[in-house]
Amino acid sequence: MYKNQTAKDWLLTFLKYVYMGLCVLVALFPIVWVIMSSFKSNKEILSNGLALPTSFSFDGYVQALEISPIMKFFWNSVIITTTSTVINVLLLAMAGYVFARCRFRFKNALYLLLSTSMVIPMTAVINPVYTVIKTLGLSNTRTGLVIVYAALSMPLSLMILRGAFSAIPPSLEEAAYVDGAGFCRTFFQIMMPCAKGGLASAAVLAFLNGWNEFTFALVLTSSTDVRTLPLSLGYFTSSFSFNYTAMFAAITMAVIPSIIVFTIFQEQVCASLTAGAVKE
Amino acid sequence: MKRNKIWMAAFLAPAIVLFLLIYAIPLVMVFGTSLFEYRLMPNRFEFIGIQNYIELLTTDPVFKQAFVNTILWILIHCTLHVFLGTLLAFILYKKPRGWKFVRVSYMIPNIISQSAIAMIFVNVFNPQYGVVNSVLGALGLEQFQHNWLFEQATAFPSVTMTWLLFAGYTTTLVLSQCLSVDESILEAARVDGATGFQLDVFVMLPLVKKMIGTTVIMAASYMLQLFSLIYITTGGGPQSATTNLPLMLYQTAMKENNYGYANTIGVFIIVLGVVSMVLINKAFRMNESDY
Repeated sequence: MYKNQTAKDWLLTFLKYVYMGLCVLVALFPIVWVIMSSFKSNKEILSNGLALPTSFSFDGYVQALEISPIMKFFWNSVIITTTSTVINVLLLAMAGYVFARCRFRFKNALYLLLSTSMVIPMTAVINPVYTVIKTLGLSNTRTGLVIVYAALSMPLSLMILRGAFSAIPPSLEEAAYVDGAGFCRTFFQIMMPCAKGGLASAAVLAFLNGWNEFTFALVLTSSTDVRTLPLSLGYFTSSFSFNYTAMFAAITMAVIPSIIVFTIFQEQVCASLTAGAVKE
Repeated sequence: MKRNKIWMAAFLAPAIVLFLLIYAIPLVMVFGTSLFEYRLMPNRFEFIGIQNYIELLTTDPVFKQAFVNTILWILIHCTLHVFLGTLLAFILYKKPRGWKFVRVSYMIPNIISQSAIAMIFVNVFNPQYGVVNSVLGALGLEQFQHNWLFEQATAFPSVTMTWLLFAGYTTTLVLSQCLSVDESILEAARVDGATGFQLDVFVMLPLVKKMIGTTVIMAASYMLQLFSLIYITTGGGPQSATTNLPLMLYQTAMKENNYGYANTIGVFIIVLGVVSMVLINKAFRMNESDY
């Protein structure tokens, strides 16, 4: 009986590690394969898709940068996502603070209205959002995308930030008021620093959402001057059709920054994701 | 005090403007224009009642396919995908050797953009040099090689594979919930003689049920927003084998400039979103408290 038990335990442990190994394999192998292929010549790729590269050459990267303005796309992504993240977090910190601390008529109704926008699958409103942005004269501009991205993360940021401000003890604020600080000053100098954790969580989620967004970028922009990194990959299929090395290099360049940043900040990212989910 | 009122309004105003511009006005427009024949070039804007709805539901074969695919993908994602991620979380919370590495690696496909994943899978499924056909070739199984993304029979399962196995979000969320469970509860169960399996199913599972419910909701809404993975890999083809509602909406609006009809599809997406949200909430009793 006892022996049986240990055999079963051993098998379970074995299966556990097999499953863990499979998960890692499934997650990493395609990416590793792409990176490896980016160092192979076109001929090598076509003759054997699985073989290791015979020599390391960065030709693919040079060609990819020549063929498509990846750097331009990259900087557009950096500018648009950073700006929209800052705007999103600032505006919703202000709104979240008012919802957490102030009393006024229809407060709960208003909060419910703003946060239920989370339920709407945003793909459903692509076309009217396009109309709105076009009416504002912002189609095919970075500003247009910044506004949309700041709005896309709105419900989540609002929930996280209201929660963050609610958790701060009211005595802090009262002390500030007694010392003669006004509404604005109390908010920016006392409350914002206290809500750092919530601000960071909201910022991480807003940044991730914007950085990886594809659909609205596709619909709202048309010229390479303003398009973002996720889109740059979209038309690699046609313009790279016979230069596989360059295409693999381009994919690699698109994913490496995200992977590096995530590996460094993984604790913060995972904590932010959890904060976003728990507040639902 | 009066000055505070003004500040309060000033603090709320920008968020409300943003909400009106990107959520409220578009939402009203989606529902409103779904009742119109609304096109540009040539310009048409004419009230036609529920004609768009009737046409979608009765005569449009692409809509039927897109609708069925969307539902199918929601079901697959809410069950199999969430199960795979939850299973990993239940293995990792006991902190076996290397659990942190597994957690980080498994999350990576969820952190990089969907369009990059799509491009990776365009290559993985490439008939000439792709991973799948290369492996089959190396094993001498040439008869099973396909042009995976572009053959009628294999396109749907192949596209599904571009997101099905990447359950990093689910794992991360359920795992963090498991790790936050008070050790004394688990200890009490162990003292009472619960085996590892019993501990997982009868103690841990009920404690993290709500978080699993949250990930199921996220899975459903992910499938309702699914666009770039299909747009880049198959474009919805062959014929309409891999199309879904968002892709059909995009094509109807941007390629055919048929806005009223496209927005009617948008109404269906919103209704599907609300319905699935309510059903999942009910199934997981998300509104009731735990104890």
